[in-house]
Amino acid sequence: MKRTVALGLLLAAAIAAPPLARQVHKSQVARMTLKVGDPAPDFTLLTDGWKTVKLSEFRGKKNVFLAVYVLAFTDG
Amino acid sequence: MDSPAANAAFAKQIGIKFPLLSDMNGKMLKSYGILKGYDIENDTYEWALRANIVIDKQGIIQLIDEGDGAVDPNTALSMCTTLHKKGAAK
Repeated sequence: MKRTVALGLLLAAAIAAPPLARQVHKSQVARMTLKVGDPAPDFTLLTDGWKTVKLSEFRGKKNVFLAVYVLAFTDG
Repeated sequence: MDSPAANAAFAKQIGIKFPLLSDMNGKMLKSYGILKGYDIENDTYEWALRANIVIDKQGIIQLIDEGDGAVDPNTALSMCTTLHKKGAAK
């Protein structure tokens, strides 16, 4: 496990809470376009220390666990 | 999207030891298809699905849990252990 790097991704939307169902006229249901066995698209993200991290930096070095987490510090 | 400053404060608050990353422009979320859009009244609001993704050293996706399936991280952690053991065996 030591060689596995865990990346937590904190992602919050601009709005504080999901809309009530009755207010939603149309929703676009997101489907992950990727599947197991696909090459993971490279990305660059900002760390909490304002440095950039690229997925490709870990190529050949570490496995990556990416947790996409929305509004982590709220009750939602 | 949460800013790096907000993430830093949160990491300090709960003592996180791994990097917290921000996708401020939603680029990564879009390319992975994780961004979900809702049309409410006349505006579209977007936010991310919850997801756990495990990518091996070769850059290949080995596991995807999304939505409610991503609440429990144990499946993803098991995959990490399996990959680590595979790597150690080589």
